[in-house]
Amino acid sequence: MKLVIIGAGPGGYVAAIKAAQLGAQVTVIEDTEVGGTCLNRGCIPTKALLASTELLHKVRHSEDFGIEVPGQIMPNLLKIMERKNKVVSIQVKGIRALFKSWGINLIEGKGMFLSPEKIEVEKKDGSTEIVGADKIIIATGSRPGQLPMFPIDGEHILSSDDALNIKSIPKSLIIIGAGVIGCEFAFIFNELGTDVTMLEIMQRAISTEDPEISETLERELKKKKIKLFTGVKILKVSGQHDGIHVQLEGNRDLIAEKLLVSVGRTLNSDRIGLEAAGIQKGSKGEIVVNEKMETNIKGIYAIGDVTGNLMYAHVASKQGKIVAENIMGKNEKMDYSVVPYAIFTSPEIASVGLKENQALEKGLKVKNGSFQFRALGKAHVLGEITGFVKIVSDETTDRILGVHIIGAHASDLIHEAALAMKAGLKTKDISQTIHAHPTLSEALMESAEDMHGEAIHVPKK
Amino acid sequence: MNPEDLKYHKEHTWVKASGKKATIGITDYAQNALGDIVYIDLPDVDAAVEANSEIGEIESTKATSSIISPVSGRVIEVNEELSESPEIINEEPYGKGWIAVLEIEDKSELDDLMDASEYEKYVEEEKK
Repeated sequence: MKLVIIGAGPGGYVAAIKAAQLGAQVTVIEDTEVGGTCLNRGCIPTKALLASTELLHKVRHSEDFGIEVPGQIMPNLLKIMERKNKVVSIQVKGIRALFKSWGINLIEGKGMFLSPEKIEVEKKDGSTEIVGADKIIIATGSRPGQLPMFPIDGEHILSSDDALNIKSIPKSLIIIGAGVIGCEFAFIFNELGTDVTMLEIMQRAISTEDPEISETLERELKKKKIKLFTGVKILKVSGQHDGIHVQLEGNRDLIAEKLLVSVGRTLNSDRIGLEAAGIQKGSKGEIVVNEKMETNIKGIYAIGDVTGNLMYAHVASKQGKIVAENIMGKNEKMDYSVVPYAIFTSPEIASVGLKENQALEKGLKVKNGSFQFRALGKAHVLGEITGFVKIVSDETTDRILGVHIIGAHASDLIHEAALAMKAGLKTKDISQTIHAHPTLSEALMESAEDMHGEAIHVPKK
Repeated sequence: MNPEDLKYHKEHTWVKASGKKATIGITDYAQNALGDIVYIDLPDVDAAVEANSEIGEIESTKATSSIISPVSGRVIEVNEELSESPEIINEEPYGKGWIAVLEIEDKSELDDLMDASEYEKYVEEEKK
């Protein structure tokens, strides 16, 4: 089995390793660096920056814990960036080493379909190579979205890619879009000392989340003096000598040193010669696939962001594993019913399954249980009391439909819920499971108890 | 004890009117029920406020709750000191812990509120 994969992001590289483990002869074509957006321009570098700013926050508030740090506490952007780059490079080397150990052939260059079986690679050194394959996986991912109103120049008007490589801390920053990426950057820049203003066309920050989660997040933004304008329409953006001017509807003018554009992502389904292979695209440019991740052309699969579905690294990886298995003779299908995800704001947000409104839209009888972290001893020990756990269940069966968390370590806590949902468990199964004390996980137990009016650390209602 | 010269709202806020100005805050019962206050979201100066509607939020180590304005008006001053030291509300809910000053339009709204003894009875009922 000769398998060629275009793109070595978290979809492509995982598919490559899985297929090689199952005995395929694998070639991967990558035009930038292994690890893709996730590792080089997304998940990992943002979290590396966040690790620095979170520590900065802790040191600045060390007196709350009885620790005195004499002298001025200052971020050194150069060193923060160096550390981030080192974290990324360790991971890149790790993937390259894994490729080597599994005998995966990495061709560095840009792949383009010539036919359903042949791909031409324009290599970095200028030469070209034609690669033939029995099966092909397209895993080309996505890139920061652009709108004509915000011409990204990398200097004054930044994409998220640019924001990860700034050379100096801007005094002020306007972020277009208070979605996941915009909010994560808002907290990072705020801690570095930037005066941050966010502009959002929707009515609330991260409008895809449960409304109570947005409300809690907005309160945290306010506490940090990050300005958020929701439901706003931008009329004009202009670069002037004193900064970037943003004109809003209703005669409001804002000005900042830099502008960060975080308005979603564009799929990398162009410029790869899909037409030459006859591969079908949907209305948003997404490559259309079935539940086995196969395109309309037999033997050609697509995974990850380029399929336009849930744009998460971990979904791409799962899709990659499924395709690798299917190519090697199995018959696996993608199941999207339990997909946990995390948003790395301060505090974190994590979620799995149906939100309350989604469950109601499906006509289900819904019951909620929730619990505030501030009622837990451990939250006070950590000095991180903001947030809550909310469980959405089916009122008739008690089955867990979804769990939504905002609070410290939400990204780690969500997996108990994901496993419970994958196993089809009821809220009673969580409430009757002994949870270790003192931990933040107790909030899951208590919110499951609250579902039945049995939470211990909640006053009589 | 609750001062006699104030008027009280059932959402546990108080108002002290003097001419067109009305200072508002939360009651001693409210601060006691909330416990240690760690954050207050103050209204914006110049904001228009409706009686019985939220003018801000208060967060304690136990709970997060809305601050309900007892009267309508326009915010002319807020107690900025609370941003840095919200615990002042616990210490002096009727004094240094005032939250905002409104310019009120309709003084008759004050008649809808409770006096100190009525509020005390109301709180006793709530406790049951």
